[in-house]
Parts: sequence; structure tokens; C-alpha cells
Amino acid sequence: MQEVVVTGMGIISAIGTNLPENRQSLIQGKSGLRKPVFFQSVYADQFPFGEVDSDDAHLKAQLEGVSSAGLTRSDMLAFIAFREAVKDASLTPEDIASRSTAFISASTVGGMCLTDHLYNDANRTTTNPEFLFSYPAAAHSLRISRHYKMKGFSDTINTACSSSLNAILFGSRLIRSGRVERAIVGGTDSLAKYTVNGFNSLSILSEVPCRAFDKNRSGLNLGEGAAYVVLESAEAARKKRKYAVVKGYGNACDAYHASALSEEGIGVVRSMKDALENAEITPSEISYIHTHGTATENNDEVESRGMIQVFGDVPPFNSTKTYTGHTLGAAGSVGAIYTVMSLFHNELYPSLHFNDPIEGTNLIPCLQYQPAYPVRYALTNAFGFGGNCTSLVFGNA
Amino acid sequence: MYIVDLACISPQHTFSGNFLSGDPVSHSGTQYEAQEPDYKGIISASALRRMAKALRMGVGAGAFLLNRNPKPDGIVFGTAYGGLDHCLKFLNQIVEYNETTLTPTNFVQSTPNNIAAQLSLMSSNSGYNMTHVHKGLAFEAALMDAMLFLEEDRNRSLLIGATEEISAYNFSIDEQAGLYKKENTTSASLLISGTPGTVCGEGASVFMVQGSGSSGYMAKVMDVAQLTYPEMPDLEETVHTMLRKNGLTPADIKGYIAGFSGDARTDFWYQQLNDSLFPQLKPVAFKHLTGDYPTASAFALWLGCQLLHGTIPPGYQKPDGPVLIYNHYSGIQHGLILLDS
Repeated sequence: MQEVVVTGMGIISAIGTNLPENRQSLIQGKSGLRKPVFFQSVYADQFPFGEVDSDDAHLKAQLEGVSSAGLTRSDMLAFIAFREAVKDASLTPEDIASRSTAFISASTVGGMCLTDHLYNDANRTTTNPEFLFSYPAAAHSLRISRHYKMKGFSDTINTACSSSLNAILFGSRLIRSGRVERAIVGGTDSLAKYTVNGFNSLSILSEVPCRAFDKNRSGLNLGEGAAYVVLESAEAARKKRKYAVVKGYGNACDAYHASALSEEGIGVVRSMKDALENAEITPSEISYIHTHGTATENNDEVESRGMIQVFGDVPPFNSTKTYTGHTLGAAGSVGAIYTVMSLFHNELYPSLHFNDPIEGTNLIPCLQYQPAYPVRYALTNAFGFGGNCTSLVFGNA
Repeated sequence: MYIVDLACISPQHTFSGNFLSGDPVSHSGTQYEAQEPDYKGIISASALRRMAKALRMGVGAGAFLLNRNPKPDGIVFGTAYGGLDHCLKFLNQIVEYNETTLTPTNFVQSTPNNIAAQLSLMSSNSGYNMTHVHKGLAFEAALMDAMLFLEEDRNRSLLIGATEEISAYNFSIDEQAGLYKKENTTSASLLISGTPGTVCGEGASVFMVQGSGSSGYMAKVMDVAQLTYPEMPDLEETVHTMLRKNGLTPADIKGYIAGFSGDARTDFWYQQLNDSLFPQLKPVAFKHLTGDYPTASAFALWLGCQLLHGTIPPGYQKPDGPVLIYNHYSGIQHGLILLDS
């Protein structure tokens, strides 16, 4: 079995347009949740959002050479993070195009961010056919494949909020099997009326910046972003800088409810346990947990109890959704990159907006920036609607 | 990867078995609608009412297999769009009611992962659960996923499948994008029409697969491969590599199932591969039966299994060796599945 290592990362989110900016915001405890400047919705004044601090025109201007017809915000975010990741891993155009490089992306919104265009196209009242091919979740992956002339295995995953963590899982398995040497994996999602109205209809949007793991938490904030990771076999990455090793993964279904986790956390517990087992380490060896931590009543309660069940003595943990909001299809890979940053730089980032622990669990997230904190193994979680639970364990390279 | 059981809902009477005994449905126009079974005994009436068609077909065919097989270690689905009809109903409400007074049902029902999730919920399956939405390669990705999962432990089994629906919305968008024929054709004339465009189909094909073939099985998936935006030499090279990897030469292939869709712009791919690598074989087409949709290759796999092991529908022949399934969507995403008895 090939060992899988992380050799490159790229990210754009509400707290930065690249990797160093994201890290600085985390170190400084600077949240990106605010009233949106560019996103248009009747809810723009009511809820804070984790909006990328750039309008479409500015994003597009950064994408020289990328065909701009039919390009959506989800596509643009994906291109920007993808480009940073492949550059960070020093991949040549030939490496990217190679048959032994897989590309596995994820999205839940895709081109549905263009709500009004989609409405007109679907109801045949369109005057501008530019976006007819832009809506599917796979639209951004096809564009990237085409732009970089990628010949290897490609895929797009949608398991709701665990989508891009599953992209990392799938890429790791392809490398472990020896089928590919390298996999560029991650996901993208932009703010969309579709998801804002969907989550609002479920009454789980918070009117204040989300208070993950707080007794008085009042729901999640939606965010947007894209994050891609370059995974390579240890052999292919022999001479490269390695951020981390993908030690193991777990994927389980809660099999309880379409939009809520079971009280016992069946899927949550199983995905964490399976990840530890697959990594061949014990719970006590985990130095840090990057939680799914959406700050909904249901998630934080179940995730807390799940961590207590699996770890007993729960290691330091945080929720970076208090910075970026919930980036849905991108949340898994955004979280994975923050996890790897903690591991690589040996530092823990503070969870924000926390006051009082949840009764009965009494878990308190990491509240201060902790430099020089040795992180040997770290676990990251992503749980989605439909009960799609995924956990990954990263270790020091 | 061994296929031990399968079910299919399609524009033919595949679920009841009448198609296999020689009773094909002839379609005309640009929408080939599925011949859905009565889901009684498979899906509860209350659940059925809430389900979009893609969900209904995928869950119906899937639950049918789950009911009559040992519990698998997970569920993997491929679908380009999932329940798009519900998705766009929700979108229409957003626009028409200016983002107010929305109910969550359509939103929750519309997520593509809801099919695999519903199946796991109905069967209390907390195992591996994955949904691939890679448009014209969503099913091929699900197959690769399943192959990896079973290779990691040969004792495992999985329910895998694909589902797609014709919705008024995706049909509108794809028709405006030029995917479908302008003139009327029928099942009999579609593949010889010689004009641009194809017809839209739908359906769900599901399979119980396991990592070892010790007990009776219908067919063995030897390999799966895919290409995106290829040139013809890329396709031929990929087929050669796939065959070589499995110890085969083009002459060993005894059946060629190809996704001819009647679209004069893109059918040459199938013919050229036929001419250059398998001149000895007469291609087996299927989209005059099903129409075209992003996960149509799952129907092709169902058909391949029937030809290799099951009942041979009148007019078809049993291949006496490995079968290659080649399907592409709009000439952009190309998938290859190698199947043996």
C-alpha cells in the first residue's frame, strides 16, 4: 500500500484569498463573518455570511487565460484555489495533465449560485444562453479538466456538507491502490439563494456570528470558498516538502434522518472510529480535532457526545466555521487544510464566539492561539445531510 | 468485482422482466419515459408521495435488491442531477415568492446524496455511503469507488447504482443547449436518423456487488476507465491499456456494447472504435430503447450482465467472452467498462 502525503494546498475563503492569509486570520482570531457586500438576497441584512472579499469581476480578473464565457462564482473560486495548490506542490503542466494524476472535486451548489439565470433558462424565458452548461455540480470540474488538459481519472462528489472531505478520502484510496501517483482533491461552493433559503427554511441560520459548541448557540452561518489539496504517493513525493501524511479515513452513514443527526451519533462515532482504525492509531494519540462544528443545536450536541464516546478525554478541538461560516461542499477540504496547517506549524487556532459549554458535555474548545503546540496526529470531521459522515486522520510527515 | 444481483427501471419493461422475454416498448419524440413499477411493498405510500422521480426509481430499484440480499457493507450511487425536479421547484419558489414562505421538503429531497442516504436509512445501513455527481461519468466513478472498496477487503459487498430523471427543467436547459433532436424520430429510426441531437431518457439501474466470486454470480466487472475531452488516439490508447492490464487483446473481446445515440455529431466515436479495434464485432446499441442520459452506462451494464448470464432478449446474442461497454456523454466524458462472465 502506497503512503499518501500532502505536498500542496490552495484555499480561498472569507478569511483570505490564499494560504498565508488564511493562516494569519486564524492566528489572529479574525473572523470573516459579516454582512455580505456582494451577495444579494433578502436575507443579506438578517444573517452574517462568510463571503469571499471580492466581487466576480475581481475574481475573474485574476484568471488570465481561463475562458470566461459561462464562468460562475463557484468556478472562479475553484480555479483560484486549484491554481495555488498545484503551484504550492510545484507541479508542472505535464504533471497536472498526466494520466497518473487524478482530479476529484466536490460541490453542492455548482452553478446554482446563478439563481435568476437558472430560473430563466429552466423556464425558457432566457435572453442569454451563456450559462446553459454552467449549472451542474460537475461544471467546475469539467472546466478545470479542460483548462489544464487533464487526462487522468476525474470525479465530482456530492455528499452534502462532507463532499470535499470525501474527495480527499477517495483520492487517498486511489493513490493507496497504486492506480494513480497523484490526486488533486477538494471542493468549491459559493453563496447562493438556493442554500440560504434552504437552510433558512429549516430554521438553522444564526442571526449572530455562529457560536460553535456554546450552550446558547443559535445556528450556522453560510460561507463560501474553495480549497484543494495535492496528494501524492510518498514515492512520487520523495524530494518534495511534505505537509502531512494521510494516515486514515472513515466514512459512515448515520442512517437516521434526512437533515439531522441521530442522538446517539451512530454515523459520527463510526466515522471517527473507522478513521482511527484505518490509521492504526489509538484515540489517545490524537493531539487535536478539527470539528465539523456548525453551531447548530443538533450538530454540536451530537458531535460533542460522539467525541466523548470515542476519546473519553477529548483532546483540544476547535470549529473554524466561526471564521469562514459553513462553506458546504468546500467545508471538508477547507477544514482539512486548517487541520494540516495546525499539524505542519505545530499550532492551535482559537475557536471564536464561545462563552459557556453545553450542559452535560462541558466541552470547551481551544480559545487561544497556541504556538509551539506539538501536533502529532490530527482528526478532522465533516458531516452532511443524509447522515453522510466522514473523518480523516492526518499525521506528521 | 462480482455482480450477484441486479434490478433496472428504464423506458423498457426491465423491472418486470417483460423486456427480456421480447416485449420492447417503442418510443417516439424526444422524451423516453421510464416504465415505472408499482412500488407497493418496496416504498411506503407516504414516502413515495414525497419522492422525486429520480429518487423514486433509485430507491425503488435499490430497496428491491436490499430486501432480497444480505445487508451490504455500504451504498454507492452515481447521478448527474439527483432529484432535479424538486431542486427547481424550490428554486422557482425562491424567485416567485421573493425568498419567503418556503418549506424545506423540496430542498432536503433535492440533494443528490439523498438517494443513497434514503436507502441506508430504510435498511439501517451505517456503512460506507457515497454519491458521485460527475455528470456523464457519475456511474463510472461509482464503479471505481466500489472496486477500490472491495479490493481493500474481498469479503465486502456493496449496493451500487445510478439514477436519472427527465424533468421539465433539465430538459428545457439541455434542449436549448442543442442536445436533442428537432425532428420527430422513433425507437426504430433514432439510430439511423443521421441528424444532430439525440433523445432524452431516464432510469435507474442497481447492482449488488461483492469482492469475491465464490458463490454464484452473474458477471464480473474486470475494470473501468474514463476520459474527458479526449482525442481519438487517447481513446484507442486507453482501450489498449485497459485490455493489456487485464491480459487481453482486442481480438479477445466478444461483445461491444456502444452508446450510439443517433446524434450525428458524436456517434462517430463508437463507430471508429468499432472499426479500428473490433472490426469482427457487430456493436450492440441500447439508446433506441432508453434514450440518452448522463448515467445511461448503468443500463448498458445491466444489459451486459443479461447477455453474459441472464436471459437473452430476442434479437440479441450471448457473447462467448469478455464484453466492452463504451459510452460517452455529448462527446465530452467517455467511459469504458470491461465485463466478463
